[in-house]
Amino acid sequence: MDQLPNLGREHDMLKEMGLNSMEDLFEDIPEEVRRTAPLPLPGPQSEESILADAQRLLRANVDLDSRPSFLSAGLSRNFVPSMVPMLATRGEFLTSYTPYQPEVSQGMLQAMWEFQTMVSELVALPVANVSMYDASTAAAEAITCAVRVRSKRALQPNTVYVSEFIPPHRMSVIENYTQGVGIKIEMLPHTEDGLLDLVAAKEAAGSCAVYVEQPNAFGVLDEGLLQLRGIIGETTALIVGVDAVSLGVIEAPGNWGADIVVGEGQPFGIGPTAGGPIYGIFACTKDYLRLMPGRIVGQSVDTEGRVAYTLTLSTREQHIRRHRATSNICSNETLIALMGAMHMALLGPEGLEKLAERTASATQLTMEEVLKVEGVSLMFPEREVFREFAINLPISGKNALERMDEMGVLGGFDLGRWWKSAENSILIGCDERTSDDDIRMLTDCLRVVIEEVAV
Amino acid sequence: MSTIFDFNGAPSAGWSQPDPLTDDPLSGIGQTLRRASLPRWPRASEPELVRHYTLLSQKNFGIDTGFYPLGSCTMKHNPRLNERIVQLPGIDRIHPLQPEHQVQGLLAIYFEMQEMLSICAGMDAVTLQPVAGAQGEFTAIRCIQEYHRANGQGHRDKVIVPDSAHGTNPASASMCGYEIIEIPSGEDGRIDLEALRSAVGDDTAAMMITNPSTLGVFETDIAEAARIVHEAGGQMYYDGANFNAILGKTDPGIMGFDAVHYNLHKTFSQPHGGGGPGSGPIGVKEHLSEFLPSPLASRRAITEDDPSGVGDGYWYFWEEPKSTIGKVQQWNGNAGAVVRAWAFYRRYGKELERMSEHAVLNANYLRHRITQGMAGEAENATFEQGAPANVVKHEFTLNMTPMKEKNGVTAKDVAKRLLDFGYMAPTLYFPQIVPECLMFEPTETESKEVLDKFADDFLTILSEDPEILKSAPHTTPVKRVDEVLAARQLILKYSYE
Repeated sequence: MDQLPNLGREHDMLKEMGLNSMEDLFEDIPEEVRRTAPLPLPGPQSEESILADAQRLLRANVDLDSRPSFLSAGLSRNFVPSMVPMLATRGEFLTSYTPYQPEVSQGMLQAMWEFQTMVSELVALPVANVSMYDASTAAAEAITCAVRVRSKRALQPNTVYVSEFIPPHRMSVIENYTQGVGIKIEMLPHTEDGLLDLVAAKEAAGSCAVYVEQPNAFGVLDEGLLQLRGIIGETTALIVGVDAVSLGVIEAPGNWGADIVVGEGQPFGIGPTAGGPIYGIFACTKDYLRLMPGRIVGQSVDTEGRVAYTLTLSTREQHIRRHRATSNICSNETLIALMGAMHMALLGPEGLEKLAERTASATQLTMEEVLKVEGVSLMFPEREVFREFAINLPISGKNALERMDEMGVLGGFDLGRWWKSAENSILIGCDERTSDDDIRMLTDCLRVVIEEVAV
Repeated sequence: MSTIFDFNGAPSAGWSQPDPLTDDPLSGIGQTLRRASLPRWPRASEPELVRHYTLLSQKNFGIDTGFYPLGSCTMKHNPRLNERIVQLPGIDRIHPLQPEHQVQGLLAIYFEMQEMLSICAGMDAVTLQPVAGAQGEFTAIRCIQEYHRANGQGHRDKVIVPDSAHGTNPASASMCGYEIIEIPSGEDGRIDLEALRSAVGDDTAAMMITNPSTLGVFETDIAEAARIVHEAGGQMYYDGANFNAILGKTDPGIMGFDAVHYNLHKTFSQPHGGGGPGSGPIGVKEHLSEFLPSPLASRRAITEDDPSGVGDGYWYFWEEPKSTIGKVQQWNGNAGAVVRAWAFYRRYGKELERMSEHAVLNANYLRHRITQGMAGEAENATFEQGAPANVVKHEFTLNMTPMKEKNGVTAKDVAKRLLDFGYMAPTLYFPQIVPECLMFEPTETESKEVLDKFADDFLTILSEDPEILKSAPHTTPVKRVDEVLAARQLILKYSYE
């Protein structure tokens, strides 16, 4: 209740308007639809007591930094530089809204223009927007965008091919975004060794788009994807979902033929934060620019010829184009993208490379050590991986993880939750913070768990 | 003008990190996949970047720097307690796929928020997954679509929206594959029941409407509108963008709605962050609840076999709705926004009604001060009311056509001149049914003094030399920006040449 500056002087204001009571302000609400009883909620609290409640409740959560953690599955247990939250939560950024008035929003506009540049450089494509909600909605809207651009001349109109090795949650988002507008989704199969079936991929030639991920949902880096452009031809959009950090060491998809690149921006800028707010990156070639979703900042000048920034190509957007808009997106994730820009800038090119090397190194070392545990095998042996790898166990992944959890280790993700057929497999996720001690505890626990079953 | 790309120090100048765990970190990755050249990101040190971003922030207007009467966006104060809470490791360092016993606190907050939002809107079930208002609209229309299909009504392919609706309404329904039927508003800016009656039929899937309308007036015929749509077999969808006006006074359930979205970033004060993040939970009546996205937070009495909970006697868990549409965001929504909104709601509790009262008080007071200031000068009037209502709700509109006819000054010119006085401009040219529209929403967190001063300044501006307005703003970091040039030259990133 301490948020109301006019509390206690309502009457003066009402009197000035010739009104007697607050109820006069609501006289236009018909009796028929009035609430009669007060809201059945607890009483107001002070800041102090709310904080105490928050601390009590949130202490009941186990934070990832309190134990060795190998749970990733699309989100990163990263380290965010201290500068980032401190600067991004400056009130001028935090409490602003979409920069409809560029003259008093140059700060955020320039920061987003710089963000667009850094994303564009990261993925090697000329255009980037100022963020989508997350990697999944970015992927879904990349698909609808590609269909808008390609369908008219496609041999397989309204048809899109999607890799079967993407997280099922993302597939569900894609289905929700495509089902109503007549887009047909075909699945692209993989061979037994975890790589995209390039022979089957020929089927996709002439369709509107192909969506693949590098690395895929099992952490596998697939060299075959570099040939996809040649296989599907020039008229089919190639959409690639990426692990943004991996691009410090892995070739950017823009350099091997991608038309649209999407991904989770979260490793840059913000912790896993229980799944949100995070942000999706979206970049494309100029062919998709006028039909792409989301806000875009462009450079211009003011009346005195000084460089100035402003939102541009707004005629694609819902507030102008309404039901013919390229997307319904309005609020996006700008503040988190700002955090991402700060983190990227602080890393610089060499810092990005090092961050990727740390993750690659941790993944490789963890994999080598885990394989020394008797009874463990790789789901896809001899593959190149980044951040994650999948192992098969002699017991169910669920049981193994529960036992490891009792021993104080978050051992990974139960792949049985995503694919019934993979119930004896877990996905082990590494990151720049994985330590030798973490790896030792993970392998010790795995050994114990497997030995227990053998007994 | 300098940009971040002007920082180009030595490769070693950047931020320090620990070394990789192994001497040959890329031993597992073959040359074929390796990146040939690194992205041309800036090479900057922390001191340089802190100054860069601080200087940028000083060229940005926020609620913290001045009055922000941006209609429809509910730019209220953002309590700093909420920012403090989301930095706690129990939220920032949590993974959405952690086992339930490791996130009992988060689940308890989710459950409490689902319950609270259900109560406030008169709904039966709530999901917190949609991450923005527009995504909430999309999600609710998806649920309605599945409901119709499950009931053999899949042929219903039209969604009705008033011409005063937010642009996201038709855009969201369109993304679900619906054809949009736009109906004109009546003389008073309210819904035209006759137009609605002739628009509904066996093909009506839903009507999407916000109440109070985007003109800031309460739709007095809403119950009858709901009856008309229901009798035709359609569903009623409440766009919660304007919920700040009526909380505790009425609710969408009583009005006859079947589904609603909430903008946590508006009504419950999640900071808008230059364009997001938002959060757009939806509430639905019982018959739609089985279609909600998965998962929802649920609870049961705790037993001796359970690990320790949060101490309230319950065990919390995730539950999948029976006929769920699946996911609209990959995880469980913007948890950070949910926790902020939780902290905000706890400040008011059952007194949330006071919040709406003060939002409406401030809007009517400002409207009164502005229109009073023009009283007695009918022939010299520079604006008209956007809607002729006695009282408005949380926002109101002005039609600046008289001003434009008199001296060529547009609503946009007035908006730009307000920037010189240290205010954010009101929403411009929306709703589109009001010509030369300015839309004001002061919110409940502005004092009487601020509203008085704003009204005086606004009236001063209207009597200024028109040339000053047409060339405004004059005192901002840059003067009027050429938006046409921006769209023509399309310089969307830094040029390294």
